[in-house]
Amino acid sequence: MKHRFGSIVLDTAFRVLVPFTLLYGFYVLVHGEYSPGGGFQAGALLAAGVLIARLVQGEEAVYDLSGNKAVVLAGLGAGLYALIGFITMVFGGKFLEYGRLPLSVHDPAELHVYGILGIEIGVTIGVMATIIAIFDALTRGEDLYDD
Amino acid sequence: MKKLGALLILAMIGIFCYTSSGLPTISDPKSPPSQHVSPRYIEKSKIETGSPNFVTAVLADYRGYDTLGETTVIFVAGAATVMILRAGKGKGGEGK
Amino acid sequence: MAELYLEAILLILLIATTLIVLTVKDLMAAIVVYSAFSYFAVLFYLMVGSPDVAFTEAVIGVVSTVFFISALKKLNRGVKH
Repeated sequence: MKHRFGSIVLDTAFRVLVPFTLLYGFYVLVHGEYSPGGGFQAGALLAAGVLIARLVQGEEAVYDLSGNKAVVLAGLGAGLYALIGFITMVFGGKFLEYGRLPLSVHDPAELHVYGILGIEIGVTIGVMATIIAIFDALTRGEDLYDD
Repeated sequence: MKKLGALLILAMIGIFCYTSSGLPTISDPKSPPSQHVSPRYIEKSKIETGSPNFVTAVLADYRGYDTLGETTVIFVAGAATVMILRAGKGKGGEGK
Repeated sequence: MAELYLEAILLILLIATTLIVLTVKDLMAAIVVYSAFSYFAVLFYLMVGSPDVAFTEAVIGVVSTVFFISALKKLNRGVKH
């Protein structure tokens, strides 16, 4: 999507909608232990917020996360997940055994909470960047509404 | 050929309808899946993982290796899609 | 008993929307009906008590509709003037 597409109505609606979508994505991420949701849903919600902004405002107007950057970010997200697994291996546990994380917390259940939060952040980054990368590759340099 | 396909589909529908009566009803506590593993998760997951939501506990903790594979699959699928969509654009591309 | 009827109605709607997606000629109409299918799937998952799956289906239904429409535009098909 090269150019912005919009009337006053669309611009106003998008300005109201995007912050709430992003905020809800963060809520689902950090609250995934207590309610339905988790890394995958949070990543898809954050990506949906960016997609709304891209659809209304055009490609360069929002969040410079295009091209190779998004693919690299997706790899970093999956890498963060694997890195947490390897950290627990380095400190003497099995792969992804969160009880061995090197944090100054003595309750093993709380260490598990931090481990789960870490891998969910990794999944969120990976899913968000993947969806944005596919959308950018599909619509790069074209207008969805030109005719 | 078209009639044969329709006949095959009808036969499959018949088989599915016949076998579906043997499935356990939804949320039946006596069905085999909720007899062995599920009670263990329900009793111990809060103590062991500190997460009150079993779904998150199973996905991210007990079955963390599976979720790592899932994330990798998503990343590889996205990277392959981007590569295919960009083929033939820019310098060195063969299409055009 | 009412829940059983509601489940049966949702399943019939799922099958009906699938048949429409398969048979309709206009691809844009197929995409729109597919998003309706995804909405009925969300309701069905909520009825059988799996809110996590329903949440995923809802979000992915939205994102995949955007992807399908972008791909349709890229292929220059299904745009009627």
